[in-house]
Amino acid sequence: MPHHQHPDRRKFVRSFVAGSTLMPGILSQLAAAESDPLAPKSPHFPAKAKNVIFLFMTGGVSHVDTFDPKPNLTRDVGKEVKLDHPEIKNRPGYERIFLKAPQWEFSPQANCGTEVSSLFPHVGSCMDDIALIRSMHTDHSNHYNATLGMHTGSFAFARPSIGSWVSYGLGTLNKNLPSFITIAPAQTYAGTQIYASDFLPGAHQGTLVVPGPEPIANVKPRIGTDRQQFELAALQKLNRQHLASRGSHHLAEARMRSFETAFGMQMEAPEAFDFSKESEATHELYGLQRGATKGFAWQCLAARRLIERGVRFVELIDTGSSGNWDSHGNMKDHESLARNVDQPIAGLLKDLKSRGMLDDTLVVWTTEFGRTPFNNKADAAGREHHNWAFSSWLAGAGVKGGTTHGTTDEYGISPEEDPVHVHDFHATILHLMGLDHEHLTYRHSGRDYRLTDVFGKVVDGVLS
Amino acid sequence: MKVLRTIAAMLASCGVVVAAEPGDLWSLKPIGIVQAPAPAASWERNAIDTLIGGNSPQQADRRSLVRRASYDLTGLPPAGALVQKFVADPRPDADAFVDVVESMLASKHYGEHWARHWLDVVRYADTAGENSDHPLPHAWRYRNWVIDAFNDDKPYDEFVEEQIAGDLLERGGSESIIATGYLAIARRFGHDIDQSMHLTYDDAIDNLGKAFLGLSISCARCHDHKHDPIPTRDYYALYGVLESTKFSFPGCEPKQQPRDLVPIASGDALAEIQAWEKQRDILKAKADAELKTQGASAKALKDLAAQNAKTISKGDVLDAGSVLVTGKAIELKVRMGEALQLSILPRASHGADTTVLEFSITQGEKTWSTSDLLDGLLDGNPNGTWCFLDMADDPKFLSQRHESLDGKSELQAWKGGDTPSVFVNTSNDPVKMWTTLPPRTFFVHPGPRGPVALAWLSPIDGAVSIHLKISDGHPGGDGVAWQLEHFSSPGIADAYRNLGTSSSHQAALAKHAATMPALSVAYAVAEGKPTETKLQLRGDPEDLGEEVPRAFLSALGGGILGSDQSSGRLELAERIANRDNPLTARVMANRIWAWHFGTGIVATPNDFGNHGAPPTHPQLLDFLAREFMNKDWSIKSMHRLVMNSATYQQSAREYSLMAPRRISAEELRDTLLVASDSLDRVPGEGHPFPPESSWSFTQHNPFSAEFPTDKRSVYVMRKRNRSSRFCALFNAADPNASTASRDVTTAATQALYFMNDPFFHSCAKKFSSRILAHAEDTRARLDFACMELFARPSTDDEVTVFEEFATALAAPEVEIWNAYARVLLGSNELLHID
Repeated sequence: MPHHQHPDRRKFVRSFVAGSTLMPGILSQLAAAESDPLAPKSPHFPAKAKNVIFLFMTGGVSHVDTFDPKPNLTRDVGKEVKLDHPEIKNRPGYERIFLKAPQWEFSPQANCGTEVSSLFPHVGSCMDDIALIRSMHTDHSNHYNATLGMHTGSFAFARPSIGSWVSYGLGTLNKNLPSFITIAPAQTYAGTQIYASDFLPGAHQGTLVVPGPEPIANVKPRIGTDRQQFELAALQKLNRQHLASRGSHHLAEARMRSFETAFGMQMEAPEAFDFSKESEATHELYGLQRGATKGFAWQCLAARRLIERGVRFVELIDTGSSGNWDSHGNMKDHESLARNVDQPIAGLLKDLKSRGMLDDTLVVWTTEFGRTPFNNKADAAGREHHNWAFSSWLAGAGVKGGTTHGTTDEYGISPEEDPVHVHDFHATILHLMGLDHEHLTYRHSGRDYRLTDVFGKVVDGVLS
Repeated sequence: MKVLRTIAAMLASCGVVVAAEPGDLWSLKPIGIVQAPAPAASWERNAIDTLIGGNSPQQADRRSLVRRASYDLTGLPPAGALVQKFVADPRPDADAFVDVVESMLASKHYGEHWARHWLDVVRYADTAGENSDHPLPHAWRYRNWVIDAFNDDKPYDEFVEEQIAGDLLERGGSESIIATGYLAIARRFGHDIDQSMHLTYDDAIDNLGKAFLGLSISCARCHDHKHDPIPTRDYYALYGVLESTKFSFPGCEPKQQPRDLVPIASGDALAEIQAWEKQRDILKAKADAELKTQGASAKALKDLAAQNAKTISKGDVLDAGSVLVTGKAIELKVRMGEALQLSILPRASHGADTTVLEFSITQGEKTWSTSDLLDGLLDGNPNGTWCFLDMADDPKFLSQRHESLDGKSELQAWKGGDTPSVFVNTSNDPVKMWTTLPPRTFFVHPGPRGPVALAWLSPIDGAVSIHLKISDGHPGGDGVAWQLEHFSSPGIADAYRNLGTSSSHQAALAKHAATMPALSVAYAVAEGKPTETKLQLRGDPEDLGEEVPRAFLSALGGGILGSDQSSGRLELAERIANRDNPLTARVMANRIWAWHFGTGIVATPNDFGNHGAPPTHPQLLDFLAREFMNKDWSIKSMHRLVMNSATYQQSAREYSLMAPRRISAEELRDTLLVASDSLDRVPGEGHPFPPESSWSFTQHNPFSAEFPTDKRSVYVMRKRNRSSRFCALFNAADPNASTASRDVTTAATQALYFMNDPFFHSCAKKFSSRILAHAEDTRARLDFACMELFARPSTDDEVTVFEEFATALAAPEVEIWNAYARVLLGSNELLHID
């Protein structure tokens, strides 16, 4: 094949590419075809929130050391308690248990005066925008099961993730980016199942972003985009010939569109993760060093930029299945873990607020379970798994800021007022997205499945 | 409380109550006898066409047809020679096509492709699915058994029987024991899987119901089935059969080692394992005898130590901490035969930690140091002047010698159980395990119940100086405590050595155990203790109701299964693999149809109940089911029947019976390997898992390896908890649940794969070299490429596209073809079958 320069190559090149549908103008205007599972869909009722940022602290954050002040734990430190607790049954050496005092001071924060410990000074300053739930509880005291439950509503079996459900319910606002993105530095408990679409259509699968130079797999062009445009143009020409000889072929058509979207994603995704145009002030707000490509501050700023670009559901996971909040050995570990996320989270909330984005973005903060307010020695340095009670919070669109909802008993052992189960928590998140958790169903193997199984009650107390 | 919640959830989510009597459900009625009707029109070739009826469908062109047949039967593109032969065959389409079908049914690739369909249904995986996702190193035998069964056209009734009760069949043999791997691969749950076997039985019942009978039996776990005639008693009647069965145990976090694997050896292999067992019994007898005398040696050592013990130093190493115990070297006088003992104790509440030790004893020029142990740790225990001990209860020598950990030969250890242990990283590089182990380092790990100790038996008299640094090697735990003691009884070195000698038989036994012939077991089931189970109220295994005798489904005639001598699996298998069972033949006939046409006659192949889809052509379904049984349950004869019909051979059209389809994840990968001429066609066997004796998987550090291979995708290792990116991207079956038909979705992230993935690019490059090597002429090259991928020569329009592309790209020839190979391999024509 001769490869001399064609005399009128430039003009020719233009027409070659123009003949395909790879024109930038068309990219963003792609009609939402019926067959496209990611086409935007109306909510069940007018939604307060358009997007979700789901902050997941992996390993089990101690509620009594962070968001649930228990002065009586300090007063009664060392007192023996008798409980039928899973940790007692499962762990030799735990036949007797004693109350253990919190290690950090609590103080009233912001105008609302909600008490938060000194582990979260920055988040504390945002409490006016936060509805804190102090009466969370979950079904399982194993990381794996509790993490799966917090993400899928199922504590044993693989089921679709909450992000996949939201994507399925509402579609996406920007076809050049995935509808559901999980940003995690490492795999956490239950692995890929926590962002999997399971039986929902695969388009709702969470796309994993690993902080670093190539956040989304294969998003970086392996060849120059000029040349790639020629390839894609040739591909679409062949695909059009293929389609023309076959009449209707919706799978083939959908696939043709997917290349256009991917081309757009290739442009837009790196741009979303390129923070060079973010101001010094923004970097400072998040506590992010310019040029850094990882860390929780990076994840938080990436989340804002993705939401800004129409990604429906962004989950941020702070650590992996080790080196996390699982402070059996020493609660002091909570200090560095909190420091890693505190300012970035507060930065995110403030940034969203100043841009007006908190009006239609829901920010969720949670962990898989709490930690025991007791241990087998009062002076034990660590705390064990505690699924009976923990704290989570919501902020942003449709959320009543500056409130607390539910309480635990005097020691933080069990919920007392208004217990909120994981299913209720999920129902509330869906509600804020304009989705009725009882009607967001998918027929699979002869059954209509829901995120909330047959449970879940919207927690009205946190709604504005 | 939590169990109740989960169960009540399953219960209520099964839907609205619909009164259902057995008589109401079409699929439970006997299979009708449908006389093969006489052809009503000239286009009809067999009974399928007649029963489908309607207008004459348009016959597909031969090239489309041969490509369709090839992917349908083998999951691979058709070989060029076969295409040429079929296209040139002067006989009518129907006659010529018969040979095409036969040649593909004779290919071993047929079994590999159809086994993949079945493996989807039985949610096959190479890991157990519990919290640490333990590998199943023997499961592949079941996978290959399924492949062989399809290739050998094993009658489907036998195929069913062997999977449920192969070990109990008279025709038996090791192959049919392997078949029961079907039951063993049921998913495992939780931390200690023995505690959650009720969920595993549920998973097995769920799959058994769906796979063989098209029934969602597990809906009846907590309540009578809402819309199908399956009372809760029926569920527990089957549960009892499984509870009376012993499942191979894969290992889990608190119990790392597999057990109850089923021996399958025969002939030489059997002799080999018998010899191994004989040797084991001899060693065990010696080790047992040794244990009895060992008490005395341990006591002697303890007494002697207690008499003259002096603590030199002790303290705590906090989490992530490091303590230089001897900021200034400790000077000490020792006599020959005395001992220094360093114990590392679990601290705080939660087990213990990996601990880095730097410990040396110097006298003049001479130094004895833990760094000397980096090479030659496994030479023995005692190891020169050093002894490695488990100090929980009475002192014991660490007797298990590990030449590698998790398959990593740079790590070597002495262990007593999982921990305590003494181990080394001999390599010059860090090794990533549960934590990153620094290079050239000596470690100890205390046990859950007590310290690990390192004793130095003094070979000298006089002053020594001691250096000791202790560091937490795995931050995020509790840290450890230490105690350094001097035992100044001169006879104590001998007491150590006596104890060491007195555990030599135990060490020999442990060493022998690690050499168990690996090829002689299957991950399968065997008869357990026959048990009548009790009803679990609302599915709660802790809230038991009345006893339920083991029995078959009442809607299918009921009847007691098993006895006080047997589990009932054999009878269960016979009741399912039975001509009188109205479901078995129908369900499989429908699957075969669905795997050929994309949609079943019953659109829900796993659900023949009231909430499943009714058959669109009930007569056709019954005809196929009868034909299936009458042809001795031969699956290959069903392929012949289906594929030689005009209905199958019709031109593909959207929304018609024969619609165009997308190729699967496996078909895509295999096609790329074929195009790049790099497919390794030799059948796969086991995966290179680390040896069982080295396992230490946890929920914090689960099994998560990937094993690259150029073999067909059916042989690629599949994990339950961490799916590979490729599988997830292209909708491969989730091995956590039965998949009756693949989900087809289109996503931009898939397109990115065809644009930028390194594997895709490398396949395209190899394909391009083949094209370039094939001919000089552009048209001949395009013809070759299109023939390889699409079973047809190139068209004039394509030549135009190529030439314009080449002009636009204005690059060297090789680059143009590399690029165009990507275009072709990513094209819709490659990804879809007409």
